Amino acid sequence: MSEFELLRNITLGQYLPTGSYLHRMDARAKIVATILLVGALSFTPTLAGNAILLVVCLAIVALGRIPMSYALRGLLPAVPVLVVLAVMQLLFFGRAYDPSSPVVFHWGWIVVTAAVVRLVIVSAARFVELLFVTSVFTLTTTTTELTHGIESLLRPLRRFRVPGHELALVVTIAIRFVPTLALEAERLMKAQASRGGRIGGNRWQFVERTRQMLPILVPLFTFALRRGEELIVAMEARAYTGGAGRTTYTVLGGSAGDWLVPVAALLFLVAMLRAPFPV
Amino acid sequence: MTAVRQAAGHGDLDAGPPLIEVADLWHTYMVGTPFEYVALRGVTIEVRAGEVVGILGRTGSGKSTLIQYLNGLLRPARGRVVVDGHDLASPRTDLRAVRRRVGLVFQDPETQMFEPLVGDDVAYGPRQLRLPFDEIRARVRWAMDTVGLPFERFKDRYTFSLSGGEMRKAALAGVLAIRPRVLVLDEPTSGLDPGARAELRRRIQDLRDREGLTLVLVSHDMEEVARLSDRLYVLQDGAVAAAGSPREVFGNVARLAALGLAPPEPVQVVQRLRALGMDVPPDALTVEEAGDAVAVLLGAHL
Repeated sequence: MSEFELLRNITLGQYLPTGSYLHRMDARAKIVATILLVGALSFTPTLAGNAILLVVCLAIVALGRIPMSYALRGLLPAVPVLVVLAVMQLLFFGRAYDPSSPVVFHWGWIVVTAAVVRLVIVSAARFVELLFVTSVFTLTTTTTELTHGIESLLRPLRRFRVPGHELALVVTIAIRFVPTLALEAERLMKAQASRGGRIGGNRWQFVERTRQMLPILVPLFTFALRRGEELIVAMEARAYTGGAGRTTYTVLGGSAGDWLVPVAALLFLVAMLRAPFPV
Repeated sequence: MTAVRQAAGHGDLDAGPPLIEVADLWHTYMVGTPFEYVALRGVTIEVRAGEVVGILGRTGSGKSTLIQYLNGLLRPARGRVVVDGHDLASPRTDLRAVRRRVGLVFQDPETQMFEPLVGDDVAYGPRQLRLPFDEIRARVRWAMDTVGLPFERFKDRYTFSLSGGEMRKAALAGVLAIRPRVLVLDEPTSGLDPGARAELRRRIQDLRDREGLTLVLVSHDMEEVARLSDRLYVLQDGAVAAAGSPREVFGNVARLAALGLAPPEPVQVVQRLRALGMDVPPDALTVEEAGDAVAVLLGAHL
């Protein structure tokens, strides 16, 4: 029982070795498939389409042998965002969004049309699907695989001077730092609460919680900058110079058959775009 | 309750209920996730008013988890924690009242400073308590003077222009300014140079002797713990593996070695002399006591 245990609810950026097919899969194929799935969920505006996408997401969670309770827990931090988003949409869209849609609720200046209700549901569903897909991706992919995967995928772009290795490194470090920063934020929240700060408490007291962020954000930024500097020194001390001519200790696993997964994802994306969903 | 009494091993202080009472406390991290692990397994300790309690143990033995219960940062799901009459398991308990009574200074507390000016940072706690201006100023003055950063000279200094030792003291002042009855210190002198370390140690001693604070001290530094503590608990794998006065705990060399800890150096010297058949008192704890013992020994041989 703790109001401060942040990492418990953060699935993004964690790695969970369960030895499933998704873990053994070629990281490049997994990256491509993930991008295609994100495309599919971004371009599906219908209720029926999002219902199918949610089912697909749950199937992917099961395929990665991620415990369902843990996957759902990763959605908790997003709940306030989703609620604020929904309230904003319900209050302020009014007739501006699809004026031809029938009005389902009318009270003073607040007008809610059927189209807005659908939009609220679809945008919440999208957010949830996005969290599922990206969480499963990081839960089944080690940082090393991720780096090599991105680098390998960007190699053909090298002739256009796209710094593939550097970009891969940036993405890897960003994802790797999510749990680190969460732990530090937790430590700072506890430290400020210990000296009398009104930290923690009700998740819904937005104003009070926002005001209490400063004593946490300032040291958190200092921490992040210092960690960044330490990382630079550590890399330079090991004579790190970047991409060109660099060989690797690990080799990307997986088989040619893994590429069937992004092909399936592509077919799914096309099917979702073309399907004549009624709602 | 009998378990608590036994763990105390200190009959003469037994008057009234302890200030902090922890009984059969269990803690599990990341409950409901695949990363779940048990950090505390039935810990029972107590802290009495006016004493200094040392908590020892290797990394990962549960020390840092345990002290987060002492000021209500964690609330017991299994076990009992009562702080100055507040039962932490009760949902009606005012946790901020508990945190006003027990100040917790985390390891490397200078990393939690955020105000540009030292005085403002020390004032964060009292300001959060919504105290009147004069009271805040008085508390900040007291806290800064107590840790050895004279108020007038340091209040308008830039926080990040302080030296490591000064920053540590300023952070300590930030917790003292809420005027707790109990101060819990996690590795208070780690990472400081020997001079700053010795000075901070003296300040901590003053907190008990002059200000009458009850202290809980977590440290790797055996000599520090031996010098400052009235009573020790040794944690291993989330349970209390040994408890008693520093003389009792450090006297049992075999037990201590089994827990992966080495006694303070003066104790080691005396124990080796005894092993060589020299007649020195077995319970010397500090450099001074060990020195006296050796002086007596040399005197007998002259």
